[in-house]
Amino acid sequence: MLFNSLPFFIFFVVVFFLYYFVFKEKTKSQNVLLLVANYFFYAWVDWRLLPLLIVSTLIFYGLGIAIFNTNNEKRKSLFCTLGVVFGLGVLGYFKYVNFFITSLSDLFESLGLHTNWHTFKILVPIGISFYTFRLLSYVLDIHREECEPTRNFVAFATYVAFFPCILSGPIDRPNKLIPQIETKRIFNYSLATDGLRQILWGLFKKMVIADNCAGVVDRIWENYTDHSGSTLALGAILCSIQVYADFSGYTDMAIGIGKLLGFRLTKNFNYPFFSKNIADYWKKWHISLTSWLTDYVFTPLNFTFRKLKKWGVILAVLVNFTLVGLWHGANWNFVAFGVFHGLLYIPLILSGVLSKEVKIETGKWGLPQLKDFCQMLLTFFLVVIGGIIFKSGSIAEAWHFVARLFSFPFFSIPVGLPRVTLYASVFSVVLIIVEWIGRHNDYTLERIPIKSGLLRLVLYAIIVGTIIVYGNKGGAFIYFQF
Amino acid sequence: MDKIQSIFRTVLKHDDLILTENLSANDVQGWDSLSHMLLISEIESALNIKFKLKDLNKMKQVGDLVDIVLSKLS
Repeated sequence: MLFNSLPFFIFFVVVFFLYYFVFKEKTKSQNVLLLVANYFFYAWVDWRLLPLLIVSTLIFYGLGIAIFNTNNEKRKSLFCTLGVVFGLGVLGYFKYVNFFITSLSDLFESLGLHTNWHTFKILVPIGISFYTFRLLSYVLDIHREECEPTRNFVAFATYVAFFPCILSGPIDRPNKLIPQIETKRIFNYSLATDGLRQILWGLFKKMVIADNCAGVVDRIWENYTDHSGSTLALGAILCSIQVYADFSGYTDMAIGIGKLLGFRLTKNFNYPFFSKNIADYWKKWHISLTSWLTDYVFTPLNFTFRKLKKWGVILAVLVNFTLVGLWHGANWNFVAFGVFHGLLYIPLILSGVLSKEVKIETGKWGLPQLKDFCQMLLTFFLVVIGGIIFKSGSIAEAWHFVARLFSFPFFSIPVGLPRVTLYASVFSVVLIIVEWIGRHNDYTLERIPIKSGLLRLVLYAIIVGTIIVYGNKGGAFIYFQF
Repeated sequence: MDKIQSIFRTVLKHDDLILTENLSANDVQGWDSLSHMLLISEIESALNIKFKLKDLNKMKQVGDLVDIVLSKLS
């Protein structure tokens, strides 16, 4: 059930009506309603996936209480380890087992050893990476004494399966969302209108930018050997913009829906294209995942390798980014994508740039200084190269794509591209400009620098009109598969 | 405390840094997660102690760090 679909609209209107009019100010009833809505939303995708979600929720609910109740340190660690092993085991089985079978089989074949291994027919539960990370942070945080377990099962299950974010995040931490679920919520007009504005901006990014870019990007990738370098460059740039608009558009809608229900979800993007180096970029891209990995993977690794000083940091970063790559999917191109980004950290760590505060200086007309602009451009270029690895079906395809991109003759007028190319490109430029102007806001439309209420309404009408006229009801969100 | 202060000054390159119990990473430029790991490592070497990962999560302010160091030394 996509957010930008009629079934979701009907589903949400019914939930909203029951939530605020029938169960008004009755937190327990509202939470039961939310839980039923969560499971209905999830089952709508595929009901066969629901039992795993419920069983996992029950196990982690019990483990959380068990870790907290015992005074024996070894038992605490044992219960926590059980949770981690179970969570990663389930994730590994559903998402990675076929990848490891085929990779190992290929390795043996390349060594001249014949294998006759078969892959399994596995139904990958949608959103499993997202809800597993929520479950893991719950037991890890209780073990670290950073939060206490909730005895309220409905609140916990709602936290795990909260429908705005179960399919693609943000990955809220338990001590941020569970207390909100347990607290009384009444309709908050300003929060709700703020949520609607954020949903509108998310819809614009998804339907006008991402779904139009998708048509161009897919066409270029399908026949990349027929195109010149300049067309491939356009495809690669639009690909990075597409992924950003798709994922951040989804996130804006998820956070906006959360606000309509009285929740403040974790911010997931902070204008990543305005980054001066790749570390700065990852502080602004998919923030809830990167901060999760920083807390539970990078920091423990960095602590373990601390005697190696800067080389220990490099080692921890490389492991961390390999996992970032693998998290995106069971394919070697995703691993290469992660390692590529990890390698880009090495000069930053060795030169000490990583520890320096990143600020963008602006000059006349609010534009960035030339030096900062060049650094942002270089970072964007690296992100685009990473995007090629991400989009390609294999490392070899990515390599050929990049090689062709830099081959002569670089420029030729593109042929065979769909008509949508022109306005996908124009709207992408509009997105960059508008985001630059609104980059100090939580999301771009949060505070519009127009005082007149009427003019603001006109602006909203223009955005709605643009969505209706140019919006493409394209496919599912890219990050649903992760 | 003097020893810890001198390590902070060397690692964070702040010659006039004065440590107080309530001082936290947000108050000092350059005291981020990476330099924090260097601080931990230097303190371990200088005082011949060993921290656990759990200790790291409890160090929200300088006072917490000093308390943990004192508990290790006693």
